[in-house]
Amino acid sequence: MSATPFDHIPVANPGIPDLRSVPRFLWWIGVKQRKIVLMGTFFGIINLLCVALMPGILGRGIQAIADENSAELQAAVLGALVIGVVQAAAGILRHRRAVGSWISAATRLQQLVSRKAVNLGADLPRLVSTGEVSAINSNDVERVARVYDLIPRLGGAVVSFLVVSILLINSSPTLGLLVIIGVPLLGLAIGPIIKPLQNRESSQREKLSESSGLAADTVAGLRILRGIGGEETFLKRFQLASQNVRAAAVRTAKMRALLDGLQVILPGSLVVGVIWVGGNLVSRGDLKVGELLAFYGYSAFLMIPLQILTESAQRITSGVVAAKRVMKLLQVENLQQHGDLNFPNDFDELTDLKSGLFISRNQFIGVVCDNSLTADELVDRLGGYLDSEQVNVDLQPLSSIARDQIRAHIYAQEKEPAILSGTISTLFNVENTGRVSLEEAIEAASAADILDSLEGDGYHAEVVERGRTLSGGQRQRLALARTIFVDAPIVVLDDPTSAVDAHTEARIAARLKQIRGKQTTVVFTTSPLLLDHTDKVFLITEGKVAAVGNHFELLKQNDNYKRLVVRGE
Amino acid sequence: MKWNKPPRPTDENSLPSTAYPAPPKDTTRLEKGFGLEKSANRLPIASEATVNSHMWNLLWSHKRGFLWVAILQLLTTSAALIPPRAFGGLLEELKNRPDATQVKNTVYIVIAALLLQSIFVYFTKVRASILGEFVLSALRERFVTRVIELPPNVVERAGAGELLTRTTTDIDHITWAVRDAVPVITICLVSIFGISTAIALTAPLFLAAVFIGIPFVFAATRWYLRRSPQAYRVESSSYAIVNSVLVETAESGRTIDALRLGEQRINRTDASISRWVEWERYTLRLRSRWFPVVEINYILPVSAALMMGAYFYNRDMASIATITAGILYAQMLAGPIEAMLWWIDELQTGKASLSRLLGIHEVEDREIREGAPAGRDIAGEKVRYGYRSGKDVLKDISFMIEPGTKLAIVGPSGAGKSTLGRLLAGVQPPNQGRITVGGAEIGYMPIEKARTEVALVTQEHHVFVGTLRDNITLAKPDATDEEVWQALRAVDAEPWAKELEKGLETVVGSGGVRLLPAQAQQLALSRLVLADPHTLILDEATSLLDQQAAKHLEASLGAVLAGRTVIAIAHRLQTAHDADLIAVIEDGVISEWGSHDQLLKANGAYAKLWSSWRDEI
Repeated sequence: MSATPFDHIPVANPGIPDLRSVPRFLWWIGVKQRKIVLMGTFFGIINLLCVALMPGILGRGIQAIADENSAELQAAVLGALVIGVVQAAAGILRHRRAVGSWISAATRLQQLVSRKAVNLGADLPRLVSTGEVSAINSNDVERVARVYDLIPRLGGAVVSFLVVSILLINSSPTLGLLVIIGVPLLGLAIGPIIKPLQNRESSQREKLSESSGLAADTVAGLRILRGIGGEETFLKRFQLASQNVRAAAVRTAKMRALLDGLQVILPGSLVVGVIWVGGNLVSRGDLKVGELLAFYGYSAFLMIPLQILTESAQRITSGVVAAKRVMKLLQVENLQQHGDLNFPNDFDELTDLKSGLFISRNQFIGVVCDNSLTADELVDRLGGYLDSEQVNVDLQPLSSIARDQIRAHIYAQEKEPAILSGTISTLFNVENTGRVSLEEAIEAASAADILDSLEGDGYHAEVVERGRTLSGGQRQRLALARTIFVDAPIVVLDDPTSAVDAHTEARIAARLKQIRGKQTTVVFTTSPLLLDHTDKVFLITEGKVAAVGNHFELLKQNDNYKRLVVRGE
Repeated sequence: MKWNKPPRPTDENSLPSTAYPAPPKDTTRLEKGFGLEKSANRLPIASEATVNSHMWNLLWSHKRGFLWVAILQLLTTSAALIPPRAFGGLLEELKNRPDATQVKNTVYIVIAALLLQSIFVYFTKVRASILGEFVLSALRERFVTRVIELPPNVVERAGAGELLTRTTTDIDHITWAVRDAVPVITICLVSIFGISTAIALTAPLFLAAVFIGIPFVFAATRWYLRRSPQAYRVESSSYAIVNSVLVETAESGRTIDALRLGEQRINRTDASISRWVEWERYTLRLRSRWFPVVEINYILPVSAALMMGAYFYNRDMASIATITAGILYAQMLAGPIEAMLWWIDELQTGKASLSRLLGIHEVEDREIREGAPAGRDIAGEKVRYGYRSGKDVLKDISFMIEPGTKLAIVGPSGAGKSTLGRLLAGVQPPNQGRITVGGAEIGYMPIEKARTEVALVTQEHHVFVGTLRDNITLAKPDATDEEVWQALRAVDAEPWAKELEKGLETVVGSGGVRLLPAQAQQLALSRLVLADPHTLILDEATSLLDQQAAKHLEASLGAVLAGRTVIAIAHRLQTAHDADLIAVIEDGVISEWGSHDQLLKANGAYAKLWSSWRDEI
């Protein structure tokens, strides 16, 4: 029993989803896990058939008691026992596959979402909020997956309904027809309230995601709230959102209660019909007492498939709503389109058409911007993250080059690079040229003291949660060490020493120049310590190149430059 | 389908460090406290006993609501019991004396009973969900209230991710449990009680048949409940880890893209999914043993009732009516028993999450000591502090800062400047020695009091989802427009704020208008302007601005800072040059203390730093 029907989950490759429409998407998921769904349905059918056959056996038992026929009674008792055991066995076998079904669907969707997130990469935060991604992954994925755990029971419901109908028609055509026509009618009668129920459910879900988004946001900024105040305001805001959720949930619940009430009265009317027609048949001697009991049992049993059907309708529709949200995320297109050309190995110049900035190969270049926003934008452009059709490699637009090629050749370090959780050594578990050793990179970024301050040899110390336990300067130096270690042919750095003290900054400047050697390096900074080591400096004002030259020349000749760079009085 | 295909092993190397170990390969019971030690150094998890007593309190405080649900359900069950009895009577009659009038009467009774039942069902369900939603909203609001009261040092240590998971995923899991499980279990218990009573009244002899399996169910359930709660706790935590891995991927999109870490992230997601699924398999193995025992035992009573019926009928101790009603009741009993056991199972997941939510309530409160500050001078006496024992970051620091002083703290990275800043702001008290504001120890003041004295701004920033105004008026929610604009002006943020389409009412933060890191830092400073504390600690508070902007900002801030004590931790020596006093911290001690000119004359570490900084121009 230690093996389970989902030992092969998660799969190595979740495949390419069919996103043309919701039904196609749901069908695609189902087909991907058809074995487990079909086996589950098989056991679901057996399980419900056993339940369906029970009234017939009990009816025979009662009739046998009335007729004082002990052989018939024994057969009925034995039959009830056997059917009971089979029902229990099929029940657990179905459950194992139903669980497997939903887990199979959930994991596949999680895999798809994570692959999409990776694919969107730098565009992701610009397109979708993190809270949204998290909500889709935790809430909607589960809702979609729950549809598949329903299928085995749904299959059982449909088949057992048909079998019972045939049994009924065989023993009494009148009663049989009554039941067979009655049940689908009842299903239709419930239909009109399904739609408003769904509307209420989806509004409730929206309110829920709003309130959990607020809670998440408050927690993310908790350090600030605790430091400055405002907890009350944010708590009130959350309480309001939470109460809105409650009100919406109660509204939904009222609708659902109505459905529950209908689920008593509608099948009940069928039972009434059976008693009415059947009772008259018995009083005329056309039906036996035991058979009437069986009919009563059958019509009562039919409530089970009916309930499964209505539950299915609800779950499938809430699954459809969730599937739409998942699909919306999976359909998000990257902002920056990339071609499929290779990066020219022997390029001469990287030119930004918008600003007029040009990066010559193998130079150490400084860029001084009058505005840090311009700098951030330029770094993104040069790195091929945004508007890269405005950047040329020689005469070829950067946007025509494959994304992986650009990343392999240009490393544009943003202002606050992320430090992913893990140990220090996993931080450096990145693709690199192998030219710079880990120790050299750490030395060049003056980060050796950070390792010393950590436990053990430092490399195996845990960096908790995006480096929150490290100071800003420490994070900055670790990120720089990582960039140096990667050793891309072109490195673009956005203010890499803004949180580092002057002493260390001077050391970093000299070592960075030395370790990059003859490789193309662009530093956006206003620090004279760094600019001092550059081959050439561009001054950019109002988004355009205003002056080009050597640091010392510019200092002498350009007042604007001097004002931006010089410190002190 | 191939049987016994060995499960794909989890890629241990790709797992995040927060992941739990693999479950046993069979149904072996977990060691006591398994999975709890993982979070021992983070946020506490409430013990089984705490969770149980809390659940009980929760039920007790809503006893009125429960009573309503129970009464309504009793009425529902009673109505539901009428048709089988009436039908049994009809069969009896028809067997003895076939007559159509009897049929008519039975039909009327059944119709009336059904109408009543459906009306009662409606009200029971409405009441139950009003109750469920009420309990749920109370629970999540109480939790968030507690979270935002957490001592600041705990918030820093725990990190946002762990708290975030508890605020979102765990609350979600509890939503499932409370919204459905609690009302359903109440309803089932009442139904079981009602039906059993009905059996006892109509056919007491059948009670034995109905309860024949109870000892087996009891034993199996005990076996199961000894294993499942812990397993579900780890299972739901493992599920939460899958999400936190994805959130990190989403948040760090740019870095992952730049470093081409995509594949690594995918492997990490897959590995954490795989670990979660391993736990799903373990709990399924537990259920695979428990379910059949339970299911057999509510199927058996029906056959038992049939046998007993025959026995009693032969001895004239029961009529066909009694036997029919007895059998139908025995069948009716299966529904609520099955539903209840199912929901008890679901409740285990809810309980696991509840133990994580309630764990927050077990966080030790900040230690508060008597004493109100008299005056504004700040002093440190033999302050010693280390994050880990044996590795002191600050060693024996003493100082005295008079009100209105502008003090700059300089020194190499890692010397303990930021740590000193945190202690000065009272985030937590030093391990040894005292830091006082007006003679009172700030680390032992209530945090709400401490921050009116001293405020700390670091380079860490967060833009809250909400309007620009909401983001600024944290400390003063009733600030006027003019005050807010003044605050923005003081931090040089007026130009870009004016350009926003809806001005102060522009929605910023995740999902709204995206602010740049430099703008976020200006926001952080503008909050401070409204907070109006007498002492400010600025820890690299302008580092994300470029040189020019920082210079300009510091000039504009000057007006706001006038008259206040300002302690600036900075690497820009310009800040030190402009300060009244400079403290040089090296290796955890104050190595130099004095004005810019004094320190230059002393020709020590500061003088060297200053000249290296000035020289290259």
